[in-house]
Amino acid sequence: MAEVEETLKRIQNHKGVIGTMVVNAEGIPIRTTLDNSTTVQYAGLLHQLTMKAKSTVRDIDPQNDLTFLRIRSKKHEVMVAPDTLLGLGLDYGWICAGATCPELCSTLNM
Amino acid sequence: METPGHKARPNSRGWRRGKTRGASNPRRPESDPGPHLGWGSNPDSSPSSGSSLRPRPHPHPDQEPSLDPGPYQDTGRDSEPSPDLDFGTDPDPISSPGPDSGPDSGPGPGPGPGTGRDPGPGPGPGPGQAPGMLRDETLDGATVPSLWRGSLEIRSEPKICQTASISTSEDACQAREQVDAEVQTDPPCPVALRYASQQDIPGLASFLRRVENLIIRELDKNWQSHAFDGFEVNWTEQQQTVICQHTLCYPLAQAQKLQVTSVSWNATGSVVACSYGRLDDGDWSMEKSFVCTWNLDRRGLNPRQPCAVVEVPSSVMCLAFHPAQPSHIAGGLYSGEVVVWDMSRPQDPLLWRTGMTDDTHTDPVYQVAWLPEPRHSHRFRLLSVSTDGKVLLWQAAGSGQLQLTEGFALVVQQIPRNTKLKKPTRGETEVGVTALAFSSFDPSLFILGTEGGFPLKCSTAVEVAALTRMPSSLPLRAPAQFTFSPHGGPIYSVSCSPFHRNLFLSAGTDGHIHLYSMLQAQPLTSLQLSHKYLFSVRWSPVRPLVFAAASGEGDIQLFDLRKSSQKPTVSIKQTPDESPVYCLEFNLQQTQLLAAGDAKGVVKIWQLSTEFTEQAPRETEDLDQLATEVAS
Repeated sequence: MAEVEETLKRIQNHKGVIGTMVVNAEGIPIRTTLDNSTTVQYAGLLHQLTMKAKSTVRDIDPQNDLTFLRIRSKKHEVMVAPDTLLGLGLDYGWICAGATCPELCSTLNM
Repeated sequence: METPGHKARPNSRGWRRGKTRGASNPRRPESDPGPHLGWGSNPDSSPSSGSSLRPRPHPHPDQEPSLDPGPYQDTGRDSEPSPDLDFGTDPDPISSPGPDSGPDSGPGPGPGPGTGRDPGPGPGPGPGQAPGMLRDETLDGATVPSLWRGSLEIRSEPKICQTASISTSEDACQAREQVDAEVQTDPPCPVALRYASQQDIPGLASFLRRVENLIIRELDKNWQSHAFDGFEVNWTEQQQTVICQHTLCYPLAQAQKLQVTSVSWNATGSVVACSYGRLDDGDWSMEKSFVCTWNLDRRGLNPRQPCAVVEVPSSVMCLAFHPAQPSHIAGGLYSGEVVVWDMSRPQDPLLWRTGMTDDTHTDPVYQVAWLPEPRHSHRFRLLSVSTDGKVLLWQAAGSGQLQLTEGFALVVQQIPRNTKLKKPTRGETEVGVTALAFSSFDPSLFILGTEGGFPLKCSTAVEVAALTRMPSSLPLRAPAQFTFSPHGGPIYSVSCSPFHRNLFLSAGTDGHIHLYSMLQAQPLTSLQLSHKYLFSVRWSPVRPLVFAAASGEGDIQLFDLRKSSQKPTVSIKQTPDESPVYCLEFNLQQTQLLAAGDAKGVVKIWQLSTEFTEQAPRETEDLDQLATEVAS
């Protein structure tokens, strides 16, 4: 329990991270540091995108797997680390996502 | 004949019984009024029988001959003697000598129809009623006694009612004890964040152990990565080149070999107007000219057919659309007049004019501009400059007249002497003004370009009187405050920067463009653009470092001071045979459009590439920097 919180705190306090969130296999957020509505929105959307990306990689090469997904936009960068066990039909799987904003970080000096 | 005892009353048909006594019947002028009304009586015999229903006195036999039985009797009388018309024996069913019949029994008075009827039967048979003939009768009007009055009285009956008495009672109460209580709802528990039950925790911890290093590694990589350095994405569609959107011309003016002297965009940015005239005429021009407008947003725009054309008796040298009214446009003429047209009235577009008074310019008007009034910024006045040295402010008065409100005159002796200028030739006292630009930061400050090649900084707020002998209804003032170092030839165009309060450009016949700061006399930079004249220069309304210049070699040169301060970024060729481009204007609403008119009588609307319409970051600061670094 304490280990979970500590890990999340470490990620959250890394330079440039705006928010962190952990989502389970159904797309339900388990832990988050963002506000409620943003969390729900990101969780639903990112879950679908991650599933799609994973299946794409798998379709191209069945031996391959998605290890990391990054979405860089004008304002932020969203980084998604899916569990290697995700989507295998097991009922546990997780996504950890963090959003970073490069310009913001330089001013906040995190 | 009335029954005795009848009251005189207008009967229901509105007749009044009996005419006035003595009134003559128009048909028988000598006759007495109507025995048909039952009057047969002798007016003399009974003076008191004026009332209509006096029982008819029996006509006296001695007076009977004087009685005229009246019109209706005459025929009877005349025709009675014929035995055929002898109705006499029978009482005439029509006119029975009933109680109401008029004087019946025609032969009453002696010369009656020979019926022998006695004037006897009725009460006083009046004279002259022929038995059996159509007789006039007066009938009493049928009267109907009115019922309503009576019926009301009949029907009304008083009634009284009263409700049973209502019992009332009063009571009061007061709480003896008071209790305060508050209520608050609990905040709803967040929907999604139902923290998972315990069985997730072991999986979560192990997952995080797996993932944490990966994430931290990637986050660190972000900081060290140069992958996106200089990667600037612009998602809007890029337009790489400048294209000519429209080529507008007026064939009639082109046939007269007229040139486009000025273009102007209207307040909404959808209508472009151009004026046709001559710029290379040295003499007094008597040619007619045209002002044409095209509405570019209209469908079915015919480039060779303007939406509105105004024919002007003199050459129009400059145009300016009203900044607020989309259809008002002002023009300065070769004759020195200033005119305002309303293009929404095709039959009579002329709105106001200065006329040819003592106040008007005596030389061609080279520039007009609309100036907001100092106190009412939604009202505008018109400013005109001309080579006679006068700068005049006009206001629209009633009756279509433009009235002079303020005037300035430039005299050589009053030019500030901070710059060394050529000595004026003898006899020349006026300074001809050929160009005008207002500062967008200070509405009372304006820059004049002169024939002598030196720009002047002027203000509308001066009080010094001008030493001029030009006639004027208002005292003229000398506006010049500062003189800048001159060009090699007359200045044809000045333009103040909309982004920096001190910078302005001037272009003249020496083919150079000078960038001046108002703080110093020497130009900050000087660019040679053409070996021929430069006719117009304009700052871009959106990009602080961009300006456009129209040259005598037939092309428009766009400068971007960010990229290069020596050569033009884009050079647009407008005319194929190098005839000069005389005027250009940016469209303030649709900032990618640029209108330019040339000596061939053609106005081309250019659509600029996006690099000229989108402000790059920090451009204003770059402009400031340019101003300060070149100055030092």
